[in-house]
Amino acid sequence: MKFETKAIHGNCEPDPVTGATTYPIYQSASFEYDSAQEHSDVFFGRKFGHQYSRVTNPTVTAFESRINLITNGLGTICTASGMAAVSTALMALTGTGDHIITARTLFGGTHYLFRHVFENFGVEFSIVNSTDVSAYEAAIKPNTKAIFLETIGNPKLDVPNISAISKVAKAHNIPIVVDATTVTPYLLDAKDHGITLLVMSTTKYLCGSGTTVGGSITDLGNYDWRNAKSDKIKELSKKQGEMAFLGRARRQIQSNTGSIMAPMNAFIASLGLDTLSLRMEKHCQNALELAQFFQNHPKVTAVAYPGLISHPDHEVAKSQFGNRFGGLITIRVGSKANAYHVIDHTKLARTLVNIGDTKTLVAHPQSTIYRDFSIEEAGEVGAHEDAIRISVGLEHIDDLKADFDAALQGITL
Amino acid sequence: MQLSINGEKKIIDQDQLTVTQLLAIQQVKMPEMVTVEYNGDIIDRATFDTTSLKDGDEIEFLYFMGGGSRHEI
Repeated sequence: MKFETKAIHGNCEPDPVTGATTYPIYQSASFEYDSAQEHSDVFFGRKFGHQYSRVTNPTVTAFESRINLITNGLGTICTASGMAAVSTALMALTGTGDHIITARTLFGGTHYLFRHVFENFGVEFSIVNSTDVSAYEAAIKPNTKAIFLETIGNPKLDVPNISAISKVAKAHNIPIVVDATTVTPYLLDAKDHGITLLVMSTTKYLCGSGTTVGGSITDLGNYDWRNAKSDKIKELSKKQGEMAFLGRARRQIQSNTGSIMAPMNAFIASLGLDTLSLRMEKHCQNALELAQFFQNHPKVTAVAYPGLISHPDHEVAKSQFGNRFGGLITIRVGSKANAYHVIDHTKLARTLVNIGDTKTLVAHPQSTIYRDFSIEEAGEVGAHEDAIRISVGLEHIDDLKADFDAALQGITL
Repeated sequence: MQLSINGEKKIIDQDQLTVTQLLAIQQVKMPEMVTVEYNGDIIDRATFDTTSLKDGDEIEFLYFMGGGSRHEI
C-alpha cells in the first residue's frame, strides 16, 4: 500500500470501546490492574500493558505505531520534543569516554546539546563537513559510538549523501542517526538508505499546524544490536534481541529522564499525519517556485535551495528525496540591516523560529538560533549576518512572491 | 503439548505450533512489540512463523513498550 494510504488508514482503527474514528486521548497518569501479579508482569515486561504515563500511554503508543508504519520501522518512541528525541537516542548509544561524529550543519539546539550537555558528561565530538563522505570515515576513532547528521543542514541547506555515509558507518559497525525533520518520511525512505535511527521533531511538518511540540525516534531495524558497540545495548540484546536499543531508550533513558510526549500532544500531532503527503507536496512546490523567484530578484544576492539546479547538492537531493526538495529556503540580502528590514516588512510571513507550519515563517538565524556562535562559526553553518531563513508555507504562491517583493523593494544593496 | 510460558506450565491443545500461532492462541496483545525467548535464546521476529514448538519448550515474552507496526496494510 502507498504512503498516502498508510498515513491515513495505517494503525488507526476505530476505538474498540466507543467506535470513535480518531484514537482518543487517554489523559490518565496511571493505569489500574486487577491483581498484584498482573501489575508486576507489566512492570517486568512479561505482559503488555500501560502502568504509568511517564513510561507509556495508549494515545502516545497509537501515534508511535502510526509513525512506525510510515517509516517501515522496527519500533518507534515518541518524545517531549525533537531535542528530546536527539538527546534520548544519543544518551542510549553513548556514555562517558565515548565519541560521536557530527555533521557541521546542524540545528543550533543540537549544537548546544553537544556543547553544553554531552561534553559536560565526558562525551567528545568531531565535527565534519556535512557533505564530505570521506571526512566521516577519517574522523572515526576506536571509541566512536554514533554518527549524527541531518537530511538537510539548516540554514545552509546542504544535503549529505546519506546512503554513502551509511555505508561508511556500516563498514565500521557504527550506528548512524539521522534527523529527518526537514523532509519527513514522505520524502525520504530512511530504511532503504541504511539509516540506523531516524529522529524527527514532530513539531514541524508531521504535526503541520505549528501547535504542538514533540519528537520521535524510530529504530529501522538496519543494525544488529547483538554486536553493538555500546556495551549496555549489547548486554540488553541478550534479553531483548533486536529490540535492545528500543528497550534501552524507553526503559532506561526516557522513563528515567522523563522526556515523554504528553497524550494531548500525541493526539494533536497524529492528526497531521492524515494530510502530511498533501502538505509536503505543496510546501515543496511553493518553495521551488519562490526560490526561482528569489534567484531572479535584483535585491537578493544569494539563494540556497536544493531544488535549484545551481545548488551544489542538487543531484544528491534529487535522487535522495524523489525529485522534491523540502520547504526551506535561505536567502542573503547584503547586510544584517537589510535582513532585518525584510523580516520586519513582510506581512504574511511571520517572524518566529519554527519550520513546517502552514504559514510562511521567517527568522534571522545568526541573531537567534546561532546567537552564541562566533561570526565565523555561524557562517560555516549558513547563518551569515545577511541571511534570512524562510519556511515556506501553504499560501498561494502569488501572494508570497508579492509579500517578499514588497519587503525587498525597501532595501539598498 | 505442555509448554512453560513466562514460567507457568500450560497445556496447549495442539500437536504442531509455531511461535506466531502461539502468540495468537495466547491472545498476546501487540505481538509486534514482543521479544520472544525460546529455550533460553532470543529469536528474531523474522523466524516466528517458522519456529516450531515442541513439548516441554520454555517460552518467555518480553515487551519493550513502544509503537510497532501493528499490521501490514
